[in-house]
Amino acid sequence: MSKVIALAKKELNEYFSSPIAYIILIATLSLFNIFFFMIIDQNREVSLRDVFQVMEFMFVFLVPLLTMKLFSEEKSTGTMEFLLTAPLTPSMLVLGKYLGILGFFTILIGMTVIYYLIVEYFGSPDPMSILSGYLGIWLEGAFFIAIGLLTSSWTRNQIIAAMMSYLILFLLYFSSSFTQYFTGPMENFLFQLSTRTHLENFAIGIITPSDIIYYLSGILLCLALTRISIDNRLWQ
Amino acid sequence: MIIANNVSKNFGSLQVLDNVSFEINKGDIVGFLGKNGAGKTTLMRILTSFLAASSGKVMIDGDDIAEHSLTIRQKIGYLPETPPLYTYMTVQNYLKFAAEIKGVAVNRRRIQLAKVLEECQLEQVKRKTIATLSKGYKQRLGIAQAIIHEPKLLILDEPTSGLDPMQIQQVLALIKNQQEQRTVLVSSHTLAEIEQIAQRVLMIKSGQIILDESLELLLKGKNDNPSPPLTLEKIFINHHQELTQATAGGI
Repeated sequence: MSKVIALAKKELNEYFSSPIAYIILIATLSLFNIFFFMIIDQNREVSLRDVFQVMEFMFVFLVPLLTMKLFSEEKSTGTMEFLLTAPLTPSMLVLGKYLGILGFFTILIGMTVIYYLIVEYFGSPDPMSILSGYLGIWLEGAFFIAIGLLTSSWTRNQIIAAMMSYLILFLLYFSSSFTQYFTGPMENFLFQLSTRTHLENFAIGIITPSDIIYYLSGILLCLALTRISIDNRLWQ
Repeated sequence: MIIANNVSKNFGSLQVLDNVSFEINKGDIVGFLGKNGAGKTTLMRILTSFLAASSGKVMIDGDDIAEHSLTIRQKIGYLPETPPLYTYMTVQNYLKFAAEIKGVAVNRRRIQLAKVLEECQLEQVKRKTIATLSKGYKQRLGIAQAIIHEPKLLILDEPTSGLDPMQIQQVLALIKNQQEQRTVLVSSHTLAEIEQIAQRVLMIKSGQIILDESLELLLKGKNDNPSPPLTLEKIFINHHQELTQATAGGI
């Protein structure tokens, strides 16, 4: 486990060693702030439901930028050889990198907790629905990151990795928009496949096992596929 | 220390290694010679378990590499042709990270760090960011990460490539000093360097081992009646020419 923690720490430090992390944090939080005040001003309600949905939409664009270099950069700079000839299993490597970027994402989400304090100041929001909304958006980010990690393991080119992530995330995000063209099981499949369907429940304070299973199984599947990709040197 | 038995490696239809067999004893420094594309790096990558052999068997320190890859990686230190460095890190942070992922015990890390910093003469740059270091320092740092976990076997892929003469001598001295502690397999294009440090020479051509001999015997045997005396460089060229002529004659 100490090797996994070392890898996660290295990943997190790498983000904060360049200005990119700070630019991403400032730009994302600035956009969140603008949308937060617009939503509060328009809805006039002490709830973060719509804020979570805006966050979700923005993460579709943000997460591939965060994850595209995870494995791609290691391959293009030759440090992948260093990691894969060290006494590490592919699972340790995947988990270490995943936890590192998840830590960065958690910091980003953590910085939006101030929104709760602001709505709390102006009214009496339901803390449970806000807590469940945060759990939902965190699980969704964790799922998006696992997808980004997977696509990064397929190629040594960061741009290609980001493009593949966008393709998968757009497919998952917008799949419920295509339900009108289908009926029966396909309609239901597309509806259930969409990340929007599952976050909606969290955002209004409903935590269902099926939504949690959706995110956790998605994360585990992506991590398992990343492990296979690394183990089989699929990018070579 | 290393027993390679009929090791072959194919990339699709391209055969890079063809039934390579050799043995390396504990404590030896072995020079690994061959032209570009001869299969040196592929063989080194198989020995470090970065790549799997298509067929054949490799035993390192009594363990089969296909079955005990993790145990074997603990026993190996490896410097690829391009030193695998995180250029945003400082020298000491990079080595601390290398020690952590290579499983150096917590109570040994500080000692090992101090030891490799001294051995590789990196003490004065330990707080510097790797990106600002000269190529010679980067190469020594690459060796430092390879030995921080006290491996029994050190594999170095062209460790002097691109260095100036002073830096080459520093790196060669560092490699020579490893002999007391571990077995070393080092590849190089510069045969004079191999002559300085190695006791044995393995020569590879088109994926096949064409020479496996003690350097002393090789130079002594070839120098029985030579005028002028032969060097490893001449032996290397002669071997390649003889083989090329034999192949042409055979055709």
